[in-house]
This record gives sequence, structure tokens and C-alpha cells, in this order.
Amino acid sequence: MDTIVAVATPPGRSGIGVIRLSGPQSLDIIRALSYEPEFTPEPNRVFLKQILRESGQPLDTVLISYFAGPHSFTGEDVVEISCHGSPVILRQLLDLTQNLGARLAGPGEFTLRACKNGKMNLSQAEAIRDLINAQTDAAAVQAARQLNGELSNALKSSKQQLIQIIVRLESALEFVEDDLPQIHAEKIKATLSEVMGSINALTSTYATGHLLRDGIKSAIVGRPNVGKSSLFNKLLRLDRAIVTDIAGTTRDSITETISLQGVPISLTDTAGIRVAGDRIEEIGVERTHRAMADADLLIVVIDGSVGPSPEDLAVLSQTKPARQIVAINKCDLPRASGLENRLDHSLRVVHLSALTGEGLENLSTAILDAFGNVDSESVGLLITDSRHHDLLRRAETSLLQSMETLSDGASEELVLVGLHNALRFLGEITGETTTDDILAEIFNTFCIGK
Amino acid sequence: MVFDEEFDVIVIGGGHAGCEAASAAARLGATTAMVTLNLDLIGQMSCNPAIGGIAKGHLVREIDALGGIMGRVADRTGIQFRLLNRSRGPAVQSPRAQADRALYRTEMRSTLEHTTNLHLRQGMVVDLLVEKATVVGVAMQDGRRIGAPAVVIAAGTFLNGLVHTGRRTYTAGRAGEPASIELAEALKRLGFPVGRLKTGTPPRLDGRTIDWDAFEPQEADERPVPFSFSTEKIEQPQIKCYVGYTTKDLHATIRRNLHESPLYSGQIKGVGPRYCPSIEDKVVKFADKERHQLFLEPEGHHTHEVYLNGFSTSLPAAMQQDLVRMIPGLEEAKIIRPGYAIEYDYVDPRELGADLQCRRITGLFHAGQVNGTTGYEEAACQGLLAGINAAALAKRKPSFRLRREESYIGVLVDDLIRQGVDEPYRIFTSRAEYRLALRHDNADERLRRYGRRLGLVDDSDWERFNRRRDRITSAKQALRTTRLRKCDAAYLAVSETIKSDLGHSVSLEDLARRPGVTADMVERLLPANIAGTIATSDLEAALADNLYAGYIRAQEVVIQRLNHHDATRIPADLNFKTLQGLSHEMVERLERSRPRTFGEARSIPGLTAAALSTLYVAANLHG
Repeated sequence: MDTIVAVATPPGRSGIGVIRLSGPQSLDIIRALSYEPEFTPEPNRVFLKQILRESGQPLDTVLISYFAGPHSFTGEDVVEISCHGSPVILRQLLDLTQNLGARLAGPGEFTLRACKNGKMNLSQAEAIRDLINAQTDAAAVQAARQLNGELSNALKSSKQQLIQIIVRLESALEFVEDDLPQIHAEKIKATLSEVMGSINALTSTYATGHLLRDGIKSAIVGRPNVGKSSLFNKLLRLDRAIVTDIAGTTRDSITETISLQGVPISLTDTAGIRVAGDRIEEIGVERTHRAMADADLLIVVIDGSVGPSPEDLAVLSQTKPARQIVAINKCDLPRASGLENRLDHSLRVVHLSALTGEGLENLSTAILDAFGNVDSESVGLLITDSRHHDLLRRAETSLLQSMETLSDGASEELVLVGLHNALRFLGEITGETTTDDILAEIFNTFCIGK
Repeated sequence: MVFDEEFDVIVIGGGHAGCEAASAAARLGATTAMVTLNLDLIGQMSCNPAIGGIAKGHLVREIDALGGIMGRVADRTGIQFRLLNRSRGPAVQSPRAQADRALYRTEMRSTLEHTTNLHLRQGMVVDLLVEKATVVGVAMQDGRRIGAPAVVIAAGTFLNGLVHTGRRTYTAGRAGEPASIELAEALKRLGFPVGRLKTGTPPRLDGRTIDWDAFEPQEADERPVPFSFSTEKIEQPQIKCYVGYTTKDLHATIRRNLHESPLYSGQIKGVGPRYCPSIEDKVVKFADKERHQLFLEPEGHHTHEVYLNGFSTSLPAAMQQDLVRMIPGLEEAKIIRPGYAIEYDYVDPRELGADLQCRRITGLFHAGQVNGTTGYEEAACQGLLAGINAAALAKRKPSFRLRREESYIGVLVDDLIRQGVDEPYRIFTSRAEYRLALRHDNADERLRRYGRRLGLVDDSDWERFNRRRDRITSAKQALRTTRLRKCDAAYLAVSETIKSDLGHSVSLEDLARRPGVTADMVERLLPANIAGTIATSDLEAALADNLYAGYIRAQEVVIQRLNHHDATRIPADLNFKTLQGLSHEMVERLERSRPRTFGEARSIPGLTAAALSTLYVAANLHG
């Protein structure tokens, strides 16, 4: 087994960067890095060491933590090096460790080793992934709920009903000589409808659920100097972008994420759209167009004291009305006349002032409303995973096929094809149902025995 | 070692598994000895005098397609043929026949006696002779030693058999026949894991004492469907069976006397089948059922013995007589043989490979009830497979296996060797994921070529098979190319009958899939030159293929999709004990079944999803 290495902290600059090593050579590598061949760290303690470059020049002073396998994340010997969070230093450290025999880890390889060494099972690994990726509290809660088997419980009663139908039909064709009660096709259809209804209810939560997990990408667009950055900062409640009076000052796209009622919303502040004056502005404008294309939602800001310009209307017409909100800014100033009439009536319009904060609540509500009243607190279990969603959809399709076959009056074994397929799909989500379970049910329900 | 006689193959047991094994091995060129306790009881049906039934009928046809003998013997001795599930789709239709019990035996024995290379020997096997984990022969009770490099154990319910009637118990393999005790002990000595199962049988009645008019007759089919693909027509006269019912008083009487029943008194240790329960079981488990169905099955044209199907019991013999008299129509009935329960040893079938050879001892094969199955057909198909492979071993030829995608036999063997048994294993159509593709009438298409390649299918049968397949192909062609057009005379009538719009024109292929369209209707629409050359059964086969094709394809996609990890190989040297997070029990199951792929592991019962995850990761990391 070789020793792997990777940067554990996210890319970019920060105070601390962490490099993690896992494998039998971890300790040897750190000894070589610190020029201390006799270094025998006590596990779970932190040591200060200086790391030198190959030239002998100091690279950085670092903190070393040693975790002796199996009492480590991966179950192998693990060494964590906390250095200053400079990408340059991190890069150098990676190179040095690789020269000493470590291999750059593949994606998820630490977790894979953890699984292999029995430190966690696959569903726990999934949970970690989801937890890491959770952008809001509510998303994290959903991840946790899923792991606790809430999804399995929600499907349990549907599965049971489905099994009952299967049992009934299988009994009819398997035990044709036994004295079994008559099958009532209408009753079976009714139960089947119920099952389809429950599954459909769950499937339809995906629209909300996946937003909760993946978030809404929105871009704030508009002419220069309408107050986009001010609005952006207000929404973030901190000064992030540069705000000046000069039109076109926001040269870059800046993206931040906020949480609105548990739903992660990423906001991208963009360069004011006008015909670019200089090269830097051009780049900024190009980025703006890209942000617009990527966005689930556009917040089009208009200066309420001046009214919509032809460019504003052009922006509005370029994109679908449903996924737009018109934020008429500067309501603290006198409003331009005839403003509303120049806008399409189907548009969602909010009046606000980025300066005073007035109307901001309405904007928040409008953002969520644009996606169908997403309120994660009051809703029950949501399907957030596209794999689960896909399986539920396929189960629904199979059941529909069975329903049609049943209505056609076809023989039971044809109806059963769709039912068994649906059960298989549901089984993929929650856990297998085997033939034995169905047979057991048959013999519990009916007196068979010619 | 010195032997009194030597053969290529020894088959222990002359029941349904033994007969198939001996016949197949001999016909494959192996000198074969079939050793049985009683030559007069070769081919004896221990219980219900009937062959076939749902899924069982499929097995018989598959045995026949491969070149086995059960189907032919059943065709010659069947006295009431019925195709079950006629009103349902072809995939779940299955042939069944009551047989003349005595005639079945004599026909079976005669078939074996006319088989070259096959030598019948009466006697009891008391030990297996094994050298260096390889079988070399058997030792007989009378002192003889018979040598062979391949031995098939097909001992049925005889291994440590114990019969219970009321409180009386006695060792027996069947009522009136001695049990095989030493052989059972020999298997234990060799280290095989042995368990205990039970089964039961109902009383037989004197037909002269039955009031037949009180029962509902059940007719044979007008057009009996034979089991064997070599049988043109069933010639012998058919009989009726009769349906009757128990009463509430009868149930109450049984309930009052449950303490006399060996199963309920704890006297019997073995586990019985859930699906053929004794009348005691029925009455206790389904207490609110007012009456239970019974069938009167005459055992032959030349005997007045009648089998009382549905009344399996081990209550005391005298009590059985009183109980039977409480059944309407049987007030004067006399019992000729009382019913009884029997417990017997079986060996964990997970000891076997897909060729039914024991992993622990080379050359030793197990077939039939000894593997924990119940039913003549289940036993026979295992016998056939074991016989083929025993001969293959003796002749140094490659072994023969069947896959579950292509046959019920494959399903049965695969279930046994991977999952083991908790109760007597009976075949059901629902055990086959590919049920729609495994029809009784396409067993020849699926398996004949294997039989031919092995050498069990002779020239005339092979010819007949090819002609049938050609006819079915031309039927399918006709379905594809013939169209029913608006201008045709029949168009209006057809469209009215099925109450549906057929468009400008419709191919017979598409028409046949519409609900309400029968085989007869389609036959009448075929062009005369085709209709004259094919039989109705050929058309029915073509229609069935047509009907199911789409469903089979759709199901295939789903199954493959869900099983895409299944091909992942599990390294043969993977030590399951080293996998973290597996309970002792799961490690045990894995070690027993030795799955070679992840797909095989997935089907091991009791393996949790978490354990499977761990196994999957390990399999991937090792590979």
C-alpha cells in the first residue's frame, strides 16, 4: 500500500493550509522533510517544526500532527501538516512530499481508504460528502434526516402495499388449484393508484429538495450605477464589493452565498452592462453575460428615480420572465413617472432602497416565490438526491405500465412485470426485497396446500 | 482396494432423482450401477400420484428437452392430463398429469432395463469408500464392495428416516420400507453439515366405499398436452378427479386433538414445507376458514385405491378414520393406508458446486431430497444434472451447468447452492426473474441443443425438434408479414370483436398483442398456404414469443441496470474474516456460499446492505 498526499484545505489564500498524508511512509516523509531522522512524535499531539526547501532555504514553520493507525481518519498512519495558507507554500510541500515517495491522492481516496479499513461505511461516506457540501443549515438537516432512514420509512408503507398486490397476483397464478378468494381487479387498481399517489407525492418534492441541496444561482444585473453593488452588499449585510459613484466600477463578478429560509442562494454581482469603454471593462462585461447565462434567477435592478432605459428593457426581454425579478431601486428618491406602465405586467416587481434597506424583505420573498414557495422549514422529507429522484420516477413509470396492462385485462404475469420492476427500483433506494419475502407473505396470507 | 464389481458411476437410490441420474449416465457411455433397496419400487411416487403442476411442469419439460426420461414415462402412464392456468398467459401455463402409480413404476423400470450400460443392483449402501478426499466406491450391507470414481447419492427421504403416526414412531424411508441409517451416519462422519426436514402424506381410501356423487368432478383436458417433445399424442383413456371439502366440525375435532399430532406435540424436530401443510396446520393457521378443499385422485384404472389430496396428516391412524368419515361423501369411507409424517436427514446444498458435485469430496454428487428439495420433479432434474456430470467426471469430459437465465433447473440449482435451504425447497414461477422467457413450450428451444451436444438426444428427436423450430419460425414470419387491411372481409368482424380501431392496416404481429385477440382468431387470418403447414401449438408458441418480447426486453434493461455491479469479481482468496464490519454470521454465510462475483453475493440471504458495501469496496480494491 502506498502513501498518498493531498491538500486538505480549499484552494485559495488563508491563514492556515493543511496537507494530509496517509500510508506507511507518512512518518518517514515527515522525518525527511524536517531533517530529523529520529523524530518520534507521540500520536495526537502537535509539534512545531521547520521545513526546508531542497536548496536548504527555509520554506515554512509548520505544525505537525501525527495519528498512528488504526486510530486515524483512514485507519493508516496519518500526518497532517499545518502551514501558512499560501498556495505557493502548499504547492512546494506537495512537491517535496512527492519527491520523498508520496503519491498525489485521487479524488475521495482518503475516504475510500477509511471505508476499506472499516472506519466508516459507504453511507456514512455519503453523509460526510453531503454535510461538507451543505450550504445551509436546512440542507445539512435534510442530509442527516436521509441518513437516519427517513426516506426508507416514507417508502415503507408504499412498498408494503405494492408487495400485497404482488402477493395477490402471484398467488392467483402460482396456486391456481387452491381455493383462493376471487381477485377483484377494481380493488387492485385502487390500491395501485394509492401507491402511485404516495410515490408521486415524494417525487414532486425533488423540485424543492434539490434546490435546497444545490441552491439557487442568481445574478444581479442592470445598467451601470443603478445600485447593484449596493443592493448586493445590503443583501450580504457586509461590504464586499467596491462601491463608488463611477459607472462601471465593479469590474469583476463577485459571488457570495446567503441563506434565505434555509435555501442557499448564490448572488453574483455583475459589471454594469453598457458598451464597454476599456479593455478591463470588456472582460467584466463578458463575465456578466456568462453569469447571466448560468443563473437560475436574474434580479434586474432599475433606478426608480430615472425609470427603465432601452438597455434595461433589452435585458428583460432577453431572458424568460418567470425567472426574473425587477428590483426598482432608490425608492427613497422620488419615483420617475409612468414607471410601471413601461414594464410587462407579468413581471415580478419589488420596490426597494439599497440605501435605507426598505423593501428588502419583499425581495427575499420574491426570490423564493420565483421557485414555487420554497419553505424548507415547514415541509417534511424532501428528495434531494438526483439518483433517488431518478429511481422514484422509474418506479412510477413501471407502475403506470402495470396499471395500463391491468386495465387492458391482460394476464397477471404481464401486470406483475411492472410491479416487480417498481419494487426493484424502490429496493435500490431502501434495501432489497427478495423473492423469499414475497413467498413468505403468500403463505401467511393464504392457505396453500394441495 | 479390491472390489467385487467396478463401474464408472454408482447411483444410490431408485427414486426420481436416481432414475434420471442412472439413465443419463448410462446413455452417456458410462457403465452405471443403480443400487436400490427394493427393485420392485423403482420410480415409486411416495406421495401424490401426479407429475407436474405450476413450475413443476416446466421442470419436466426441461428434463425432457435435455434428454431425460420423466416426461416420456409420465406420458405413457398419465391418466388425467390438465394444462394449468389455461386462462392465463402462456408463460405461467404448466402441464400436470395424474398417473397410474403402479404403471409408472413398471414403465420406469422397463425403461431402465432397456438402457445399455445400466445395471440394476438390489441392496443397501452402508458406507462410502473415500481415499484422499476422492470417492472410490461404496460398501454394501451384504458385504460386497462396489467401486466407481463417481457416486451419486439420491437417497430421498431414507437418510435416518423416521415415520410418525400419532405417538407411534419407527425408522423407515417410507411406510413399510427400511431407513438408510448407516449411510446417513457415513455422511456425518465425512464432515457434511446435516439438517433435518419433514414432510407428510395423506391417507389412501378404498374407492368402493366413497359416495362419488357427493363430489364435484374435474375433467381431464380435451386436448391433453404431453410432457415430452417426443410424444405426438396421449392415447390412453383419461379419468376424472373429484373435489370435496372439509367441515367446521372436522376442524373442531382436529383442534381438540392437536396434542396427538406429532408436529404439535413437539415430537417431530424437522422443519416442514409451508406450502403443503398438513390438515392440522391448515386448521390451526387459518382457523377462520370454514372449509378446506380436498381432491379425490384415483390411483389407476386397475385399482380402487384413491389418494385423498389436501389431507396430509400424522394424527393417529384410528383418529384419521374417524376424521375422514366427517367429510361429506366419505361417511362410509375406509382407509386402506393411513397418512403419516416423515422426518429425514438432508445435507446442506451449499456444499455443492453448480455441477452438484461435493466440494469436499471429489466424485461425490448429491441429488434430490438429500439436498433439501421436495417434489418428484425437483428431484428428477437434479438427478439428471448429477448423472450427466458423474458420467462426465468418469469419462474426463467437461462438466455441465445450467444458468438461471435459461432454465428453471438453473434457478433451482443456483438457489440451492448459493442460499441453502431453511425448509423443503419447492419450485415456483416467482423464483425465476426471467419467468416470461422460461415457458413450458419453449423448453426445447432453450435446452435441446445442450441435450444433443451431450449425446442424450437421438437423431429422430433432433429432427423433430428442428422441424418444429422451423414451423415456429415460419409462423412468426407469417405474423410479421401478413396484414389485416380495411378492405379485407375479416376486418370488420375482428375490429368489432375486440372493440378497437385497427387503423388502415395492421400486421398480425401487432394485432395479436391487442387485448381480446385469441389464437383462434389469428389462425383464421393466416394465409392458407401457411396455416396448412403449421400446427396450432406452433402458432401458439409464435404468439407467445411475440406477446412477451417487449416485456422481456424491458425487464432485461431494468435487471441489468440494477445489477451493473454484479460482474465485479470477488477474489477467490479473499478472506472474509478480514473485512471490517461483518458479523460472525455474515462471514459464515459468505464462507459457505463462496460467491465468485458481487452478483452472487448479493443474493445470499441475510447479508445486510452495509456488509455488501464493505464487500464491494474490498472486491474493488483487491482487483
